[in-house]
Amino acid sequence: MTEITSEYIKPELMACCGAREIKDGDIVIVGTGFPAVSANIAKYTHAPNAKMMQESGVYDANPRRPALSVGDPCLNPGAAFIGSLVDVMGMFLQGGWVDVGFLSGSQVDKFGNINTTVIGDYINPKSRLPGSGGANPIGLLAKKVLIIALHDKRRLSDKVDFITTPGYIDGPGSRAKWGLPEDCGPEVIITNKAVMRFDKHTKEAYLESYHPGNTIEEIVENTPWDLKIADDVHETPPPTDEELRVIREIIDPMRMINIYLDRGYI
Amino acid sequence: MSKVMTMREAISQFVHDGDFVFIGGYICRPPFAAIHEIIRQKKRNLTITRSNAADDFDMLIGAGVVKRFISTFLSLGVYGLGRCFRRSLEKGIPHKVELEEYTNLSLPMMLMAGALGIPFVPVKDMLGSDLLKISSFFGEKKYKVIENPFDGTPALLVPALNPDVGIIHVQQADENGNAQVWGIEGDCKWGANASKKVIVSCERIVSREIIGKDPSRTIVPDFRVVAVVQEPFGAHPGYAPGFYDVDLMFGSLYQRASNTVEGFQEFLDEWVFGVQDRTEYTQRYIEKFGYAQFKNLMAEFDYSYPVSYSY
Repeated sequence: MTEITSEYIKPELMACCGAREIKDGDIVIVGTGFPAVSANIAKYTHAPNAKMMQESGVYDANPRRPALSVGDPCLNPGAAFIGSLVDVMGMFLQGGWVDVGFLSGSQVDKFGNINTTVIGDYINPKSRLPGSGGANPIGLLAKKVLIIALHDKRRLSDKVDFITTPGYIDGPGSRAKWGLPEDCGPEVIITNKAVMRFDKHTKEAYLESYHPGNTIEEIVENTPWDLKIADDVHETPPPTDEELRVIREIIDPMRMINIYLDRGYI
Repeated sequence: MSKVMTMREAISQFVHDGDFVFIGGYICRPPFAAIHEIIRQKKRNLTITRSNAADDFDMLIGAGVVKRFISTFLSLGVYGLGRCFRRSLEKGIPHKVELEEYTNLSLPMMLMAGALGIPFVPVKDMLGSDLLKISSFFGEKKYKVIENPFDGTPALLVPALNPDVGIIHVQQADENGNAQVWGIEGDCKWGANASKKVIVSCERIVSREIIGKDPSRTIVPDFRVVAVVQEPFGAHPGYAPGFYDVDLMFGSLYQRASNTVEGFQEFLDEWVFGVQDRTEYTQRYIEKFGYAQFKNLMAEFDYSYPVSYSY
């Protein structure tokens, strides 16, 4: 193994954490930003046969610039398949063919429930957010769900104000009550401080690794639930030179990933 | 019989106050020329729907033409939350729009059910979420959870939707309305075919013979269409594959304008009320930002290989 000496920014590390959850051959439904970068890192490193789709109707696009939305013009030329929302969300996702879904949330709780609908009261909102879009079906129907969030007590929550996208709802057995398979659901929350993985039994997110420069104490302090810590808790492995090369030379030469620094991903 | 007319004629004849309107597009091919005309004609009390709404729906809400919105999502994409959408729901400016919220799986399926003439459709999303705890103007009829009669598991049913009128922007259509698209479809096909009447806005009108050279591209047949409007640049600031790119500069302009009520009104005065139609809008765009900027948006040509349908 070569010693890693490269400087990197937090969003790059977070994107790599996402990439490492993707296996070769996985079908990944992606949004823009982190999800697309992560899936591409995976594709250009350990998972060359991973394939991406976008809810707007696209499968296996070959964009010449980073897509700024899931309906971006650059997703059209070179894709293997272009159809409709019913094709991707219905035929592929609801049909059970999507391995990994990748979501971000304005508010995420310990059971991986995500709120993208409203902060405060639904009828008289303090802050009205966009709504579900594709998040709810992706969260329910992808076999494994990766969640990106900012690590503070506002974005992480003991219980979200509104469950737009169910994770494990109220904990063990909750998904089964709704006829949802128990072995699907959130896998990790990747934040700007840590990777938190969901416990197979309690369905609660616990601390698996802390990012270089962040401490366990700081993470516990900024997590609003009684955060359990893995016996083998460790530092998150930094991006490898190869991962950084892929991000900077292939996926994002324009360095659009820098926008996440302004959004607090530091 | 030709159905070709101006956008002013199409909107005035076929979109009425209080109508339920499906408006297609997914950044790809939003029918912006039609949206501006709806605002210009000061339509009122519309119910609007589409999966994944963006700046166009934000503008309709800000302009006060919308009473109800069967929604899944509304944002300005890279430019963040929809300002008019937020002002409407948080502060009641210009008034509070009534929302019936679904998802990007259930809503397209509801339009599909409408197009197929079936009364409802089972979907596998929304279960366990708070989307099942809220309802608005659909009341008890937003959804039903039943026991799946075949295996006893919980099954969620959502109702079919049949809008009064569907509006889509396509790359090409013939003068009777056979409408062809390529590229990201969003919910255009099911949404238009679910609608009782369809207004087709297009980049270019082509002959019936051209349509027949590649009939697999047709998403709406002429007998479903009441109006055909040729509107080049009609999806701007969205894009049309093979014609022009998305206009991020203009998207940013809209975001900055819509940050305030006054800025939004000035935007409408300049780009909607201040022009008669899409031709004047395009002229204004070129005058204001220069031909080079306009030309820069135009797509390069990289043709597909022709296919043969012959036997």
